[in-house]
Amino acid sequence: MKRLAILLFLILLGACEEQHTSGPIQGDHASKPQVLTSNYPLYYFASEIAGDVVDVQMPDIDDDPAMWIPGASDIPQLQAADLIVINGAGYESWLAFTSLDTDRLLDTTEVIQDLLLPIANATLHQHGPEGEHSHQATAFTTWLDPHIAAEQARAIERGLSALVPAQSKAFKSRLALLEKRLDELDRSFERQFLNIKDQPLIFSHPVYQYLQKRYGLNARSVHWEPDTEPGVKEWLDFQNLLREYPAKLMVWEAPPLPSVVERLQEQGIQSIVFEPAGNRLVTGDYFAVMNANLKRLSAVY
Amino acid sequence: MPGIQISNLKFSYASAGGFRMHIPRLDIAAGECVAIVGPSGSGKTTLLNLVAGTFVPRSGEINVAGRRLDNMTETARRRFRIDQVGQVFQAFELLEYLSVSENILLPRLIDPDGKKNFDAQQRIQSLLTSVGLQDKADKRPGELSHGERQRVAVCRAMFNRPQLLLADEPTGNLDQANKQKVVELLIRQAREHDSMLLMVTHDHSMLDTFERVIDFVELVNIDPGAGQPARVEIR
Amino acid sequence: MTGAFFLGWRYLRFHRFKSLVLLASVTLMIFLPTATRLFVADSATALTARAQATPLLLGERGGELELVLNALYFHAEQPPALPYSALDDIEDSGLANGIPLYTRFRTRGAPIVGTSLDYFEFRNLQLASGRLMGLLGEAVVGANVAREQGVGPGDHLVSSPETVFDLAGVYPLKMQVVGVLARSGSPDDDAVFVDVRTAWVIQGLGHGHEDLAGGGSSASVLSRNEGTITANAALKQFNEITAENIQDFHFHGDTSGFPLSAIIIVPPNDKSATLLRGRYQNHESGYQVLVPGDVLDDLLETVFTIQNYVILGLMMLSLATIAVVTLVFLLSQQLRRGEFMTLKRMGASRGFVATLIASEIGFVLLGSLALSALMSWVTRHYATEFLLSLVTL
Repeated sequence: MKRLAILLFLILLGACEEQHTSGPIQGDHASKPQVLTSNYPLYYFASEIAGDVVDVQMPDIDDDPAMWIPGASDIPQLQAADLIVINGAGYESWLAFTSLDTDRLLDTTEVIQDLLLPIANATLHQHGPEGEHSHQATAFTTWLDPHIAAEQARAIERGLSALVPAQSKAFKSRLALLEKRLDELDRSFERQFLNIKDQPLIFSHPVYQYLQKRYGLNARSVHWEPDTEPGVKEWLDFQNLLREYPAKLMVWEAPPLPSVVERLQEQGIQSIVFEPAGNRLVTGDYFAVMNANLKRLSAVY
Repeated sequence: MPGIQISNLKFSYASAGGFRMHIPRLDIAAGECVAIVGPSGSGKTTLLNLVAGTFVPRSGEINVAGRRLDNMTETARRRFRIDQVGQVFQAFELLEYLSVSENILLPRLIDPDGKKNFDAQQRIQSLLTSVGLQDKADKRPGELSHGERQRVAVCRAMFNRPQLLLADEPTGNLDQANKQKVVELLIRQAREHDSMLLMVTHDHSMLDTFERVIDFVELVNIDPGAGQPARVEIR
Repeated sequence: MTGAFFLGWRYLRFHRFKSLVLLASVTLMIFLPTATRLFVADSATALTARAQATPLLLGERGGELELVLNALYFHAEQPPALPYSALDDIEDSGLANGIPLYTRFRTRGAPIVGTSLDYFEFRNLQLASGRLMGLLGEAVVGANVAREQGVGPGDHLVSSPETVFDLAGVYPLKMQVVGVLARSGSPDDDAVFVDVRTAWVIQGLGHGHEDLAGGGSSASVLSRNEGTITANAALKQFNEITAENIQDFHFHGDTSGFPLSAIIIVPPNDKSATLLRGRYQNHESGYQVLVPGDVLDDLLETVFTIQNYVILGLMMLSLATIAVVTLVFLLSQQLRRGEFMTLKRMGASRGFVATLIASEIGFVLLGSLALSALMSWVTRHYATEFLLSLVTL
């Protein structure tokens, strides 16, 4: 009798299996909604618009966010985000091999496809420390055109308002402030670039297409890295370029090597730095960087 | 009045042309031990059934231990039988699926509302001890010898302290030594409990032990044209 | 009458073998038709539950049942492949969301389901450990797969090769398990989930920039061949997508032509559902849009008919069993006549003896009822999964 009872008990026990779950899938809500951005400009815009309402984050990236590849350790952050704000226009190559909840993905340039610029074939490749790399079919440093930046900001506001509808009004008013500042920035750049209008420029790296388009700059790109000494071939090609394109100004993404600067100066070419601000900065925010760029520009002329 | 008094008893089975029995008179005193002998089929077992209240006579009177049986209801007769009549059957009729104790307890199992003025377990213990089977309380009848089963049957019969002990050919399958023992056991139990003992037997070697022997043929008037009695169904 | 019950119980216990045989016979007699009914009903419910939960299914022209079984239960038989562009069409229509399914491949018998993250929310699947796939090459396994193959987050699974000697064929892919799903009591427990693009990699539709045969850091783990490059290509054991080669992975050709097995369509309301169905009624593409519930209902009709025949057969058997059991009881009573006689002579009432006889039958019946109830309960609990596992085979 006793044995029978024990047997029955064991059967029942086996039948009732406990489900251990670590909670519902995706969207584990902390106290605030999480917004993840893929580069610094978007991070800045989102922070400005959202204020305290959401938690805006950017992955920890050492180099250029355009080259960032999420690893397995980055996936939890991606999956926890309630909104993933991306630049689009091919900026995020990692979209091709990551699985994301498309409902939470906000492509800030999706609705302005007509404003995107196809990339001309990159002329010179350099085997720098990173090794050979090729470029996307569309130029993706879209925010350098303040008008496009404003469009992207507007897209961010739409996304945030959909996420937290209660704060929509606050988002819109902060967006208006941001738009105003971008507009001012745009006019400042316009004024500065008027000074050098039509003058031939050389961009050290093909990342200024949108700047070029917006301000009607007369420029060509080479494919040099600021921290690398160009080789003999590069200098030769550069000479050839100068022959048909007598530039006096070269624009760098970051401070170039002094030896290169010197050699350029020998050829009558001045180097200035125009930081695209793709990644998070050590000091200063977006407008601080742009204003510093502006200042450096104005110092030339 | 204690004892048994039968007067002008007539009994027959339902089927016509069957067995008939007539006992003009029979008196047995309280505490008397009587052996009944006679040819088989003469109706000795029927007599036992009548004094037990199992059968009902067609006419006449039966008084047993101060109770009048012939006009009792069936329920009352059954109650009387369990309380006052202990029976040892021809083939012991122990239930093989019960233990020795449980077999002895059977009268109470059958009628739990009957005599209750004693503790059953104690009674069983003392009965078993008195027949020397105190260690076999939990054994099954299948594990006992013939003689031991007989003794258990006797204990069962005595469980309710009946005033009448009936034994129908209890020595049938036993060897000589055991036969003697059984008869002595029955008589001893009867005397201890102040019960009457009616024992039907074929075996004339036992008769000396009894103070009184009744010849059944002399006792009854049997209808000469009757033939063998039909097998009895107890209603 | 408790004395009679006591005697009855004792009798059964003493004749243990006979009692158990009777118990077993009567139990089976009660249980089998009951269980059949329950089993079929529960299985039908489970099957239809899953079908009911799947509003619409889009597939290439072909067998309806095949499409439903493959998409809902990951049945091994593949329906004709559907191009990925069909999913874009659904999305573009604005009428509904689509969830892609590509179930061609298997790993150690478990189906590999290439899909999107939306699938988990759609099927209401919870995680037991780890996380959902995030990178190409990652996999999430169902609870049964995790248990049977002893894998969890951090372990690997290799897809089964389709053709061993086909150089251009399907190479096994080593996938990283990143999550385990909680038990759902559905075919999802027995499946391995990957991004649909990972399934395409298994098919060989995509590869890394660094050619596989080039002997890069990643893919030579299973066998270390120091042979020539050409020999390496022939002897390649499996692919693996790692942090080193992941950014180089790309697909040849236009992905809109890449294959799917089916698309689960999730319309927000009935109106959209109807519109979609109408749209694909006589579509130039020839795709079919099915309501899985309807397709299964037809299948179940057949099952119920069969069930009725089975029960009929069982009833016949039951009659035979009843006859035999009755015979046994009658014989038993006959054997015990002496015992009953003794009891009556001792003073037992007719009712007592009747109760005694009834208790012999009664205990067996009660025991059978209890036992068959227990067995039915157990059946119900495990039937669903058992049947679903049969379907998945």
